[in-house]
This record gives sequence, structure tokens and C-alpha cells, in this order.
Amino acid sequence: MNNKINIISNAHLDPIWLWRWQEGCGEVLQTFRSAVDRIKEYKGMIFTCSSASYYKWVEEIDPELFEEIRKLVKKGKWVPVNGWWVQPDCNMPDAESFARQALYSQLYYYEKFGKICKTGYNVDSFGHNAMLPQLLTQGGMKCYVMMRPGMHENAEIPENLFWWDSPDGSRVLTYRIAECYCNNGKNAIDRELSDLRNRAEKSGHGMMFFFGVGNHGGGPTKGDLDYLLKLKEEGYEELEYSSPDEYFSDVCEGLLDVPVWNNEMQHHASGCYSATSMVKQLNRKAENWLASAEKWNTVVSKVSNLPAATKAFGDAWKEVCFNQFHDILCGCSIMEAYDDVRDSMGYAMHIAAKEENKAMLKLASYVDTWLDGVSDSVSCNERHHCRNLNFPRPVIVFNPLSYEVEQQVSTYHPSARVTDSDGNDVLFQNVRSSRSNDSHLDTVFNAKVPALGYATYWLWHADSEVGEFKKAESALKCDGLTVENEYIKVTFNEVTGGISSVINKADGAEILGGEACVPAVIDNSEPDTWAHNIFKFDKVLDTMKLDSIKVVENGEARIVVRTKHIYNGSYLNQDFILASGAKYLRVKCKALWQEPLTILKMPVTVSGNDPISTYEIPGGIIKRSCNGDEEPALTWGDVTADGKGIAIISDSKYSYDCTGNTLSLTLLRNSIFADHYSDRPYADFNYTDEGMNRFEYALYPHSGDVENTDIQRLASEFNNRLVAIPAGYHKGTLSQKKSFISISHKNLSLMSFKFCEDGSGDVVLRIRETDGKPVKAAIVCDLIDAGFWADFNKFEIKTFRVNDDGYVRETNFLEGIPE
Amino acid sequence: MFKPYKLKDHICRFCKIHSLDDSAVPKALFDAEAVKPDLAGFPYPLPSKKSEYTCFVKAGNIEWFGASNGVTRYDAAAERPEDIIMYFSADRDLPDNNVKALLADGENVWVLTETGATHIEMKLISAEEKADILREESEKYVDRRGMKTQKYLTEARNLDSILPYGHSDNDGCFTATYAMGEIFRYSVYKREKGIDHPDTVLAKKYALRATEATLLLMHISGRGDGFVARTYLCADEPVPDDGLFMRRNGDKAYAVETTCSKEWGCVGAEAYCGAEMPERLTRLYRDLGYTDDDIIFKGDTSSDEISTHFLFFKFAHDLLGCDDPELDEIIISTCKRLMNHIIDNGYILKDFTGKSTTWAKWNEEYFTSEFGYVDACLNASELLMYHLVTMDITGEEGKWLESYNYLINEKHYDDYGPKHFDRLMQASISMEFDYPEDIMYGDHMLAVCSFFGLCLLEKDEARLEKYRKGFKSWRSSLAREHNPGYDLPYMISCPDHDVDVEALATWFYRTNASRLASGVSLIGRHDVAVKTQLMGNKEISVLLPPDERFISKYDRNPLYYKNEDSGGVMCVESAYVYSYAYWMGRYFGIFE
Repeated sequence: MNNKINIISNAHLDPIWLWRWQEGCGEVLQTFRSAVDRIKEYKGMIFTCSSASYYKWVEEIDPELFEEIRKLVKKGKWVPVNGWWVQPDCNMPDAESFARQALYSQLYYYEKFGKICKTGYNVDSFGHNAMLPQLLTQGGMKCYVMMRPGMHENAEIPENLFWWDSPDGSRVLTYRIAECYCNNGKNAIDRELSDLRNRAEKSGHGMMFFFGVGNHGGGPTKGDLDYLLKLKEEGYEELEYSSPDEYFSDVCEGLLDVPVWNNEMQHHASGCYSATSMVKQLNRKAENWLASAEKWNTVVSKVSNLPAATKAFGDAWKEVCFNQFHDILCGCSIMEAYDDVRDSMGYAMHIAAKEENKAMLKLASYVDTWLDGVSDSVSCNERHHCRNLNFPRPVIVFNPLSYEVEQQVSTYHPSARVTDSDGNDVLFQNVRSSRSNDSHLDTVFNAKVPALGYATYWLWHADSEVGEFKKAESALKCDGLTVENEYIKVTFNEVTGGISSVINKADGAEILGGEACVPAVIDNSEPDTWAHNIFKFDKVLDTMKLDSIKVVENGEARIVVRTKHIYNGSYLNQDFILASGAKYLRVKCKALWQEPLTILKMPVTVSGNDPISTYEIPGGIIKRSCNGDEEPALTWGDVTADGKGIAIISDSKYSYDCTGNTLSLTLLRNSIFADHYSDRPYADFNYTDEGMNRFEYALYPHSGDVENTDIQRLASEFNNRLVAIPAGYHKGTLSQKKSFISISHKNLSLMSFKFCEDGSGDVVLRIRETDGKPVKAAIVCDLIDAGFWADFNKFEIKTFRVNDDGYVRETNFLEGIPE
Repeated sequence: MFKPYKLKDHICRFCKIHSLDDSAVPKALFDAEAVKPDLAGFPYPLPSKKSEYTCFVKAGNIEWFGASNGVTRYDAAAERPEDIIMYFSADRDLPDNNVKALLADGENVWVLTETGATHIEMKLISAEEKADILREESEKYVDRRGMKTQKYLTEARNLDSILPYGHSDNDGCFTATYAMGEIFRYSVYKREKGIDHPDTVLAKKYALRATEATLLLMHISGRGDGFVARTYLCADEPVPDDGLFMRRNGDKAYAVETTCSKEWGCVGAEAYCGAEMPERLTRLYRDLGYTDDDIIFKGDTSSDEISTHFLFFKFAHDLLGCDDPELDEIIISTCKRLMNHIIDNGYILKDFTGKSTTWAKWNEEYFTSEFGYVDACLNASELLMYHLVTMDITGEEGKWLESYNYLINEKHYDDYGPKHFDRLMQASISMEFDYPEDIMYGDHMLAVCSFFGLCLLEKDEARLEKYRKGFKSWRSSLAREHNPGYDLPYMISCPDHDVDVEALATWFYRTNASRLASGVSLIGRHDVAVKTQLMGNKEISVLLPPDERFISKYDRNPLYYKNEDSGGVMCVESAYVYSYAYWMGRYFGIFE
């Protein structure tokens, strides 16, 4: 029997929490110094530390200390673990973020230490999504250390050591810390060791004992090290300095029959997926924008002489990765820290904005938009409105997704007619603009854009004489407060402002089993910011009362019903936008919220029996029971009963509950910043979601199981909108409509299209299966002279690296760089 | 149980290679103009880089593209996605890959390359016709006294240059599988055409021959104790230096000098071989003029043979023995003797050395060794299957049931099966390899035999569930192959689990109508991604159709990034790969 107790010296370091990052950085420097000194003093001691970003701080600020650490790593005395930039929240970053966490960190470790981390290590992260085994193994890690939820929070998850499988077939050997990752002091050590001894005895395999002062850093103290030494001298022979890498290797040498877990690991801090909406919104936006901008940068670098911006994107992604640290993204840090987060995310998104704009304008310049008779290449004869009354103006619309998208886009001027590049009229509508200047009108029109491509549309200014033309047909109808398009028919209740009926026109089925979209205010006075020990937010204080409801737009391209609900001094404005050709009802929200210790939820209820809720998680989907627990999710959640369902898609939210047939999106959670049962003495507290909040969600009714619908593509479209760029008139080498990639199956999504980090010029494509359906796919990308077949298992992520000759290697998140 | 899937007639490639001076090659081919195709915006991945295409020809509705590394067939209207683009390459389809010109011949094509010409004909044939063609090839060229594994050639791609000998380490395993395929065929014909139909009669003849050859291996050592030989040679066949061979002489057999026998220090060591053999079986060599003293049998037999033999016992008894009582008696007595051997020797196959053979070990001692720790999950399941089959075909319990109960109640052998994947993953961590890198592809057939047998025969629901779990623990590994020989038993055993039947249909449609090995050009294909694993092994990211990848038996990773067929380029292999799967599918009503 292996009853070894592996001493894992560590220091839990929160770079931001109850302090700002500057203090966290200092804490890292001091802890690393201390750890190096202790290693020198105590023979055999090994120090384990995660988070590449900390090492980078030390390298930049104290290169001498960093050099000492490098030597210790080489000797095996210092063991970097967790090939990620920080210990992130493990529910809210999307799959591409996890790829970037691994990419930048493992390559950093490889460059500095000559090896990558073999063990994933998120000892404090509050929950662990079900796809993590794949996200870890694709980053080079086969083993994992975690702690939360604790046994008292979820006793179904195996104790100690177990295999953890994700639905794609990946597997990691996982160690669940029983009590604490930062034991220190004689009493704690005695208690923990006694427990671990029992566990080793019962399980038949060794255990890990994590010790060292933590949270604000610190690490192993001399007192504790002396005490451990004393225990060993007194005959406690099972104690040995070790590291997680060594531990896993050691236990795998022996007889090891441990259980298998094939689910997510929740819940510890159920409030963390809704607290501090701002950071969530920034995260979603930054993830999508960076992925999209980098795709366009890659395209344009292949089409033109514009250079690859790989380093700039790396810098931007590292900011995003840093801000995915669990105490940051979970919204439970101090208010001041979020000023820093906003700046940091702003920096990242500005890189995305600049590179995307550069790429799109450059690509647009290659598109042949010349019209005979145009005298000026750019006809801006009236300030910024680019008006030319004699000719339509080209607008080029870009789609970053790997399948064709049909969606409405808008431009900053009104139009009299809109056609596509083949001269076909398309639906458009002049709508009230956000400005109160000039015409006050924008054009909204239906654009259809091919996969990772663009399409050119021609817009005649509203003042143009366009003559007779056959208008595109619209299926939109508005009858009082009932609106419909090709796919759905929605009826609003004039008393409550909610939705009383949603008909899926494909089969005529009524989807709703109760009124939807009447915002509910929930009591949030009991939970702390994390909502420790509270897993349901179900104490309804009231519903918001309707102040007004009216149809504010009723055109051929879209109908907009505007509602205003009020509660005390707060209000929520919702624009329900039903677009022609849209499969969902888009809802644009503006909430001025000033209700302390409240939660705002948006419920929808389906009819039928045996409801099941389904959610998007990083790199996959998950089905959960409808028991009312607050659940983390990415861009959508769904409730389906008896084959009829409705999904809520969101552009920035991460928290839902499903109670029976009712699915609720948690819109706002107004907690005290970093509040942890402090008895709340009177203070002028600041609240996490106080003030103006702007966000969007959408309702997607459907028949059948949600995974058999277009939900994933619709949610991606909702979060990655088409971008319209007004162009000039010019000759060009590119046609007016073009796709840069073809992927044969719609359930495959291009996550990333970038240059390889090694500067070789190779291009990296990362593709994932989204619907849980294995496929053999054809992937063709003439831009890089590549065309290849690939098998995908359900929810599998594959990363391909294409060289200059178009030959393809399958790698993992690390792009084949570490050999 | 299953809604039968209709396998339709499907095109199959027949490539005939000619020398440049062969008068059969049309002159127009030499005069054909090489027009470079315009492939800009071509909607599918192409096997060659676009710049490497040198010529094209439209042949009816089909377009053929020639490149400096092979030929591409494009059928935009193909019903099945995998048939839209097909690739033809050297050496199997072409004399070399450097295509100079193409000439249409209906929808087929003549191909002129640097060193020769090929006529590529796509014939529409049924899956059953393919099975017939393959059987004829095996019976004519591969058969070695009823054994069906492979034979070597002196000239690549020339079946007329076949050598009269050629054995495999696992002749017993492959022949038993071939026999099962032919037994299924016989049973299907009997059911569908009647016992007296000429096709049924012919099927029985082939089934009997392979069955007798398999059974003979279980007697050929002359030890009389149930020991099974891997294979055997006759005196005029060269003894290969790849294992332990014993030459019979009277009632003694002597270890032949080979590297193996020298390493084991047993050159010339003798063993008893005077036990009676069923006369009916010995006719396989005696009718050819050989005597018992001409026999050189191969020892150190592995669990590969034993596992396939036991599953073979089951179907041979059920489907063939019922029409041939004499044979059935041999099947039953052989099975009992082998089972006795295993039980009486403490769950090993005991070689003449008095010790177990290298791989036929099913005891706890082996399971706690370094190698055996991972193997235990398979071997324990094998052993349990042997017991169930023995009880099933003998109709006896007694000793067999006692041993079975002992293994389950005292040794918990039924708990091992589901741990297979866990233990393999454990090894991948301690030994630092990628899990798929260490899959023993030869073990797939053993696992299938074991769990198929267990799931067919176990009556206890709780135990059956364990066996199904055991089968499922192999699924991620088996599913890499989409091999109907594995997936059909899996479907039958685990009906709650999805298997992609379309992928199986593709396998039947796209398997060549010949097992003549010569290699393909996989390395350098532009349309497949290549993956390098932790230990440096390379495999491709997509499972190519069988007619575009190397030929092997059921013992290789079909994703390997390699050109050469597993038996080399001078070889013709057994048709069992196809016939076993096809006729099993027909027998169990999964295909029609």
C-alpha cells in the first residue's frame, strides 16, 4: 500500500481580491523571494507555484530572483504547475480563452524553463465545467488538482483521487483537496495530517498535503517547516517533500482503482456568475472581439502586405486571461480593482478594434467597387454622411464566423434603396438613430454574408432619386401587440408588458406555458457576494410594474415593441426587436438599477411536462435538472418540455436558474463589493451592479431537443455581429462577395484563425464540434492553400497548423511548438 | 433486434497496371494532351497540392485529375460524401505517381505515368459479390492446408509469383476468424437458399476446410494435453527465425535452432508428441503426402489464438456442428481438452518448457506484474469467456462452473473488465505517452471475442451488465477504427450504445476486392492532417476509406501515417478481414 503523504509547499496568491493588482504584484515578489530562501535553508523542500503571469512579473521586476528560480526549476526544487496564465474561473471563459490560457503560459514556461506544466491546478476556483478534461489535455496537462466545491457542498463528486472524463472522451486524473490548500500552524498541520493519514489508509494510495500561508501569498514558514522536520524525525516516515507532478506519477506506478466522474463539478459560489455585470460584459466582448479581429488580421496578412499582429494579440489576450482570474471574473473583488480591470480590458479591446479596423479597411480597399461614371473615388460631398445622390454607395459587411450569417446591420444614414452585389433588392428600413443630429435616421438592412467572408451592399441615400424598383418582400406583420415574421409570432400583454404567447410557426405550437419576460426582483440580502452556502435565488420580492408599452417601429425590415418597467426608483427599458428573417426575438435592454441587495431576473416558462434545461458551457453543452439551482452558462440556456422549448441567448450574462418549466436569466445582481458576512455595519457601500446597465438578450423558440437546433450558431451570431464598413469606389482584385473558408458541417465552428506563435508564418486553425454529433469534415481554405479532411468526435476541439505549402499538422493548443 | 441496413451495389476500384510497351494500352493515351485543370475555388480537399495537378479529363459525369503524386477522381454527384473525391496512388493502383496523361474510357480512365500505364475501372458490385471475389482469391492464393493468413510473392503485385509457403505468427487466430466468416456464410445461405443449394454446399465446403485447419492446430503438437500451436509448417517449408519451433519425430518433438530457442537455451530440447490426433484433421496434410514426422509446429502460443479459438468453438458448434456430428464431437472434445489444460495448469497455457507461454497467462500472478496490471482487464475477461463457451457447447457445468464461480466469487475476475481504460490511462501518465499511442491494435480482436462471447452467453443480468461495461471500456479505442468486425459484435452486445452504421457501410463499400498488398502513397497527401504523438509516432487526423490506406489484418492502427502494407509489398493477405465482418452482419440481420 502506498501511504505516502506528499508535502506540497505552496502559497496561494490572489493577484487581485481585497487589494488591487499592484499590491498583488508585490505579494508575488515577496512570496517568491521567501520561497527561494526557504528552499535554500531546508534540504529536500520543493516549492510548487502556478500562474505564468506571476513568473512574468518577477522576470520583469527582479531578474536576479527569476534567475534563481530558473535554476531551482532545473533542479526540480521549484515546480511550476497549471499551464495557464492565472488560476481562472473555470465556468465563464469560453473554450478559446482556455486555449489562450494554455498557449501563452505553456509557451512561456517552455521558453523560460525548457518544459511545460504537466498538471493543471486550480485549487481555489469556484466550480469546474464539464469540458475541462479536454481543455486541460489540449493544453498539455493530464492531471488536475482542485478543491471546490467541498465535500459539504457536493458529496457526489468522488473524494481524493478520481478519473475525470469529458464528453469528447478526454480524461484527467484529478486530485480533490479535502480541506485546505493553505494549511499553516501546528494545529492545522496536525489536523490535516491526521485526516490525510486516514484517507491514505482507506484509499490505498498516497495523498497530498498542501501547506503554506496563502491568499495574500506568504508560503511555507520556517516554523511550519521546522515542525514538519520534527514530525519526520519523530518517525512520521510517510511524509515526503514532493510536487503534484511527482505525486501523480508516483500513484500511477502502483495499483490504482479509483472512481470515474463524468460531469461538471459545482457548486461553491453560485452568486459569482452574476455578480458585477461589468466584468462579465467586458470578458464576453473582449473574447469575441479578439478572436474575430485576429481572424481578419490573418486574412488580410495573406491577402496583402499588412503584417501579422500576433504579438499585439498575445499582449491583448494576456490581459483578458489575467482578468479571468477567479476573484476578478467572479465579481467578488473590491470595487477599486474593477477600475483597473476596465483599463486592462480596454487596452485589450483597443488592440482588437485597431487591428480589426485596419484589416477590414485594407480588405475593403481590394474589393472592386468601381462604378462607371463615378468621378471621385470617395464621394463625400456632405460631411460624414458619404452622400452621392447619383450613385449607390458600397457598404462591405464582414462575417467572422465559419458559416453563412444572415443578420441585420445598420449604417449611419438613411437610404432609399438597398441592393446586394448581384443587384437584388434587399429588405431595409430607416430607423431612428442614436444621435439627435442631421437626419436622425440610420439604415437597417438584411445582409447575408458567407463564411469568414464579406459581402458588398449598395445603398442609395434617402435623398436619391431611385425611380421604380421591386421591393424585397417582407413577412413581418404587426397587429396591435402581436408581431410575427417567417418563424415566430409573439403576443405582448398590454397590462404586464410581458409576453403572453410565442408561436413557433414551423409547427404552429404554442411554446409558452405562462407569461414570459416580466422582470422579477429577487431578495439578495442574505447572500454574500459569492452567495456562499446559498444555491438558489428564489425569494421573489416583486415583479416590475409596466409603465409603458408601445410599438415604436413597424416597418418591412423590423418591428420594435418598447416596454418600460419600474420598481422603486429603478427602471428597465426593453426594445423587443423582431427582424424579418430572424429566428429569435432580440431584446435590447437599458436598466437603471439602484436597488441595494437585489437580483433582477428575466423568466420564461414553457408548456409541457418533464422539463429539462440545457446550457452552453466552455466547449460544449450540458443538461441539468430543473431544480432551481443557480447555474453558470455561457451564451445560452434553454428549457424544453415535451419537445417544445425556448432558449435565452445573452450577449453578456453567465447565470441562469431553471425551476420546473421556468428558465430565468439573471440580469443583474446588486451585492456589496467583496462582501463576506461582515455583519454589514453601516457604511456608504457601493454595489456591484448599481447604475446604468446596457445589455441584450434574445428568445429562441424551437421544437425538438435544443441540441438539434441552430442554437449554437444563433448564439454565436448574436455575440459576433456582422460589421458594416462604408467603402469608397475603386477598382480591386477581390470580388464583391467572398468567403475565405469552407467548413462542410455547420456544427463545426472556427474558434481561431491565427498565425503560429513561433513566427514561422504557419497558420493555425482551431475548430470545435458544437452540437455533440461526430462528423467527418472537409475544410478548405484557398487563402493558405489548404484543404483537408478531419474526423471530429462530439464536442471535440482540434487545432491544425498549416505551413506555407498548405500541408497540415494536427497539434493541440500549444501549436506544436514544444517538442 | 435490428432494422436491417441495405448495403447497395457500390463502385469498386479495379486497377490493371500495364507496361508502356503493352499493346493493350491505347495509343491515344500517349497522344493525349495534358491540360492543367483550373482548380481555383475547388470545393473539396484534394489529395495533391493544387499546383501538382498536371492534367485532367472529363469521363462522362466524372472528372479525373492527374498530378505528380497520383490520380484524383471527382464525382460531384456522388451519393455518399466519401465518394466525391477518391485517390489512386502507387504502388497499389499505379506503377508510379507521376501522371503524364489521362484518357477517358466511358466513366473510367487510362492513366499514363512515368513508368507505365493503368486502366482504372470502377465496377458496380454488391457487397456479397465482393465477398465472393475475395474468398476466391484467398482460396486460390492464400490457402495453406486450410490455413488462411497470407502468402508471399517473389514479384510485387504479381499473384502468379506466389510462394507455396508463408506463415504468420498468428495463423491460428486469423484462420479461426476466417472460419467464423465462412461458417456465418454457410448459415446465411442455409437459411436463405436451403441446405442443398449449390452455393450452400460450396459455402459448407470452405467453412469445413477452415474449421478443420483451425482445429488441427489444437492437436498438431501431439502432446494430447490441449496445448495449441500457433501454426505449423511441413518439411519442405523454410523455418523462419521468428519464434519457437518444434520438429516432430516419432513420439518426440525437438526444438529447432532459432534465435528464440537459443535465447531460451532450449535448442534440441525434446517434448512428447505421441498423442493421437483426429484422423479427419490430419488429412489436411496427409492427403498432400506429408507424414506426421514432416510437421514442424510453432509453440509459445499467445492468448490471441486461444481467444479466437473459443469464440470459434461457439459458432462452429452452433452452426456447423449441427450438420456434421463427427465434426461436432471433435469441436466439443477439443474445447474441453483446452479448457482442462488452462484450468489444470493454474490458468496458463503451458509450453513444453513447463512454464507458461509468453502471453497466454490468465492468473493473478501475471495480473500483479508490471505488464499484467494493464493486461489483466482483458485477460480476465478472456478466461471467463472460455468458461462460458465451454459450458455452452458441452452442455456441462461441473468443473467448468466450479472454476467460473471461483474466478468470480473468490478472484472477482468479472470486476476487471470495466477497468481496462482506467489502467491504460494510468500507464499513459506513469510512462508519459499519449493514450492512443499505446493501444495494442491486435488486442482489439481479443477484446471483441471476449466480450462478445460473454455478452452472448451470460444469463445473470448483473454480471452481463459488468461485461457490457467491460466492452464499453474499449469503445473509445475500437471506435477509432470503424471496423465492422468489431462494431457489429459491439452493437449486438451493447444495444443501448450508438454505432455509426453509415461508417460501417462505408467500410464495406470502400474495401478493395483484393488483398494483394503493394502499398499506397499516404505520406505526402495534401488533404490529411498529420499528428505527432508524445513518443514520436505519427498518425493522420481522419480515418481514410480502406481502399486508400495500407492493407493490414485486424492488428494495426488504421490511422498510422505510413505507406507500406503491414505485410510488406510482396504479399497477399487473407480475406477474413472482410468476410468475417460481412457474413456476421448478414447472419445477425444487421445488413441485407
